[in-house]
Amino acid sequence: MATEPVGFIPAQREISLDSAVPREQPGDFSAWLAGSLGRVNQDLVRADEGLQQLASGETQNLHQVMIALEEARIGVQLLVQVRNRLLDAYQDILRMQV
Amino acid sequence: MDYLQAFAISASGMAVEKARVDLTAVNLANAQSTRSADGIGVRPLRLVSAARSGTDFPALLAGAAGASLQGAQIVSITTLATPPRLVFEPGHPDADENGFVAYPGINPVAEMINMLTAVRAYEADVAALNAAKAMALRTLQIGG
Amino acid sequence: MINAIEGLGASMVKLALDAAALRHQAIANNIANLHSPGYVPLAVSFESQLEALRRGQAPGKPELVEQLDRAPGPRPQDADMEMVALAENTIHYQALIKGIGTQLAILSAVASDQRR
Repeated sequence: MATEPVGFIPAQREISLDSAVPREQPGDFSAWLAGSLGRVNQDLVRADEGLQQLASGETQNLHQVMIALEEARIGVQLLVQVRNRLLDAYQDILRMQV
Repeated sequence: MDYLQAFAISASGMAVEKARVDLTAVNLANAQSTRSADGIGVRPLRLVSAARSGTDFPALLAGAAGASLQGAQIVSITTLATPPRLVFEPGHPDADENGFVAYPGINPVAEMINMLTAVRAYEADVAALNAAKAMALRTLQIGG
Repeated sequence: MINAIEGLGASMVKLALDAAALRHQAIANNIANLHSPGYVPLAVSFESQLEALRRGQAPGKPELVEQLDRAPGPRPQDADMEMVALAENTIHYQALIKGIGTQLAILSAVASDQRR
């Protein structure tokens, strides 16, 4: 069996810097952020309704109320941290010397 | 929440029930006593308790100043007029002219039932006190 | 100032906490008077105050009511029933405390930005 000599293997597909990293269209991130705000708001509303049911004694599941409260709290904390990081990044960019 | 008042309510109940148990112990201790200090003979003692005054419900409803729940109090200690139990013992120093000795009409079964209900009420008061303490401690944890 | 962002749930929980605290005193009083002749057991009602809150008005205080459907006088057999009510009320109070604590933690996370 003769081995084939090592030859030039043409590229199977074109590799370019552009397609290596999936680029998000500008506006996707702000849409994601707005969606997250809406989701956190819904969590807060659901937690508040759970509290109302607990106060009036109508609640069937105490654990669901407590879990909804914790989820809302963690969601708000996460949102605040994302906002902080964004602001820091923005200030970093502002400080860049042209 | 007024914790001092909650503790005071439970403490008053505990004092009443403890006094009731003490009276039961006195009754049982004197079940075989044939003479008493006042000469009438030993009679079973009973504790009369009532809700503490100053907690009239109309006053509470009207929100009168100073009206608050205050638990229970001891009103008086009464004796039951149970007839003595006559036993024929001619040689007893306290025997009357017919040879009968008048033992007190203390029914040990009734005394034990009283003691059991008093002890159960006392335990319920202790449970209420512990619950008030747990609620107060948990309240202090607001804010982490 | 924080009332503006607290929401209806927090104010209802505060009213329910008042009612639970008063209910504990009513149950403790019932237990202390298990053997008192002529004593009418007490309970707490605050449904009308809850409705006032839902309509947006300032609520009153929870009220003590007499349980007239139970016979007055010494009722030593009620010890177990009152202890069950005591356990339920204690759990309810602690759940409300936890709920308002988490609600306040949410507001604190927003108000303080949680700067590291």
